[in-house]
Amino acid sequence: MNVLFIMDKRVNAGSIHAVANHIKAGDDLGHTIALYGHADPRYDGVRFSTDIEFFDRVVFIIESGLRWMSGLRVPRVLEAVPRERRAILDADGMHNPLIVIDGYDRNFASEPERATWLRHYELLADRILQPTTDVRVSGVRAVPFYGYDLTRRARASSKRFDIVHVGHNWWRWREVSSCLLPAIERIRNQIGEVCFVGSWWDHVPAGAVDENREMAFGIDPERFRRSRIMVRQAVPYTDVITTMSDGRVNVMTQRPLFRHLKLLTSKYFEIFAADTIPLVMLDVERAEEVYGSAGPELALDGDVERKLLDALAKPEKYAELADVVRAHLATHHSYHRRVAELVEALA
Amino acid sequence: MRLLFVTKVDSGDRVYRSHWRSAMRLLLVSKLHSWGGAVSTITRYTEVGRTLGHEVAVFGEQLADIPVPCSLDVEDFDYAVFVIYGASDFPDLPYLARLLDGLPKDRRVIIDCCGRYNDTIRVEHDFNHLERLDGHQGWEWIEGFEAVSDRILQPTLTPRRDDVIPFLFHGFDPGAVSRPAALPISASGGRGDATSKPYGAIYVGNNWQRWSQIAAFLEAVEPIKDKLGPICLSGWDWDKRPDWAVEHGVRGVDVDPELLRRLDVETKYAIPFHEVIDFLGQARFGPVFQRPLFNHLGLVTNRTFETLCADTIPLLMLPGEMVEAIHGPDARSLVPDGDVAGRLEDMIARPEAYWDAVANVRAHLAEHRSYGRRFEELLGVLGS
Repeated sequence: MNVLFIMDKRVNAGSIHAVANHIKAGDDLGHTIALYGHADPRYDGVRFSTDIEFFDRVVFIIESGLRWMSGLRVPRVLEAVPRERRAILDADGMHNPLIVIDGYDRNFASEPERATWLRHYELLADRILQPTTDVRVSGVRAVPFYGYDLTRRARASSKRFDIVHVGHNWWRWREVSSCLLPAIERIRNQIGEVCFVGSWWDHVPAGAVDENREMAFGIDPERFRRSRIMVRQAVPYTDVITTMSDGRVNVMTQRPLFRHLKLLTSKYFEIFAADTIPLVMLDVERAEEVYGSAGPELALDGDVERKLLDALAKPEKYAELADVVRAHLATHHSYHRRVAELVEALA
Repeated sequence: MRLLFVTKVDSGDRVYRSHWRSAMRLLLVSKLHSWGGAVSTITRYTEVGRTLGHEVAVFGEQLADIPVPCSLDVEDFDYAVFVIYGASDFPDLPYLARLLDGLPKDRRVIIDCCGRYNDTIRVEHDFNHLERLDGHQGWEWIEGFEAVSDRILQPTLTPRRDDVIPFLFHGFDPGAVSRPAALPISASGGRGDATSKPYGAIYVGNNWQRWSQIAAFLEAVEPIKDKLGPICLSGWDWDKRPDWAVEHGVRGVDVDPELLRRLDVETKYAIPFHEVIDFLGQARFGPVFQRPLFNHLGLVTNRTFETLCADTIPLLMLPGEMVEAIHGPDARSLVPDGDVAGRLEDMIARPEAYWDAVANVRAHLAEHRSYGRRFEELLGVLGS
């Protein structure tokens, strides 16, 4: 099957890494997969195409915005591809009721915004896929989409940091400030360098206040400074795994809405491709569901500082646990499997 | 007695096709706001269209602050005319789908106001495509336009591509001239008193790709600033470089607050389009600047003509050849030709000569660049 993805591509965010992996795995399996556009040297490993008619299916990967589906971009696709050949990968779980988690994270600001969003979906396609194990709305099909790239396992490398966190400050601040930072602060003198890699940990992006999105970008630079936490800018998807490998321990956090909707992301799997001890801020049930029997041992589900110290003190033990998870991921979450699932869903 | 001469008066071979239609119904598609873009021009089209017996409306919900008829009833119209500055001028998807479903491709045209339908062009740090700003690469403008319409019009006399139709779009409204019989003393300050107008020079326009020219203008007039009088810049982001530009590393909204302070330049927020002509009339001189890209492509804007309606002597900071082609030969004296201070001093000393030129230019524009003429040209394109 020939599959064309269309998305708001960003070199350091979103689903671009998964797209690159689908393209590679698709080649192995005899499927031609590409991203809509012209060749772009910033996107290593991504095949681009604008030959829309060549493809059997077009998949719109929709994340947290609609603006990229501009009237300049979409008409050509709609005219060239009949509706039955289009699908939506609803990466951020927008095809759901309005959900607000603890008065904080939410999929929509209001019902009118949700109605607008769903109207876009109605016009684009009937087939809606979500990267979750917990579909809540009829007519939506679960397709995990994000997976583990067996070929990208990082080699052992020297460690600049004891703890690294890779991810943007987008609806993560409440968990980071109430769980992760207090734990780091309590053990700060017992551990080495700590680094957060990603956007908006040191500033709120321009326009966030005007667009009423400020709540998604809580920051406290003074607290970071006091805790001697370094901030580094976001890295392209091609460097995520090597950047994670700079840390003896990596912590993965996920925005509350995604946790609630059990949405998968690239980070779930990139952290296991890195040469690091992966610790995931998930409840143990979810960790077991995704990562298998060893998953709960790597979950930061309460008593975070004890687990951080334990991982730093006993790296061999945690490396073994991570290897058990890697074996599980290779079996159950490879990109070969992901591509097969996608093709089946689009058939 | 009423005589109707029947003869071929046009070089084209389809002269009779659209002109004999009793009424044309045009749906203009653009994102309107009161402070820029095509709002002034589109408002004129709705008025002139009505005067000529046609129906013109803007696609969308009725606007509260802009007095133009709006409609979502696509099927009621003969043609959709997309007036495009940026990607956001295309409607959002649900509306766009209604439009594309209701009017087939051969009944749509695009007026490409910023020269997007070209290869990527950079002039200084001005671009016709800037992915960092709007997320669209150059090829998308070409292929996107071609998906919507086979007919692309650009407001220039000299389009770069063979498949672009030159159509100036913007026009001159003789009825909007503030003081049609303005006396020469106007430029010298009413009664020879330089203080009777509150400003020496006003520029109305947003701070987008104009700073290099504004800065050069300010530096040039600094030696005569007392003689000239206060200067005002009205538009978005003249007081400081906005945060979004800093964050995204976007040039083109530059500003030098120290230079503005040194010359006591007043900066005002943008004013609504219907107040521009009166406001410009509060200055003795009205410099007209265009983006470097526009000068390069010969693109005109509403301000190219609107400033000539105000009770001010326009200083056309545009390429001389372009001015002569658009405004006529008398407009050459309104182009400073590299000596801004010298030309302004001469205008201050001999305003009558320049007001004569303004009157001649207005007459030229009324004859050649009126909205009525523009409208008929557009109908000709649609009927071809």
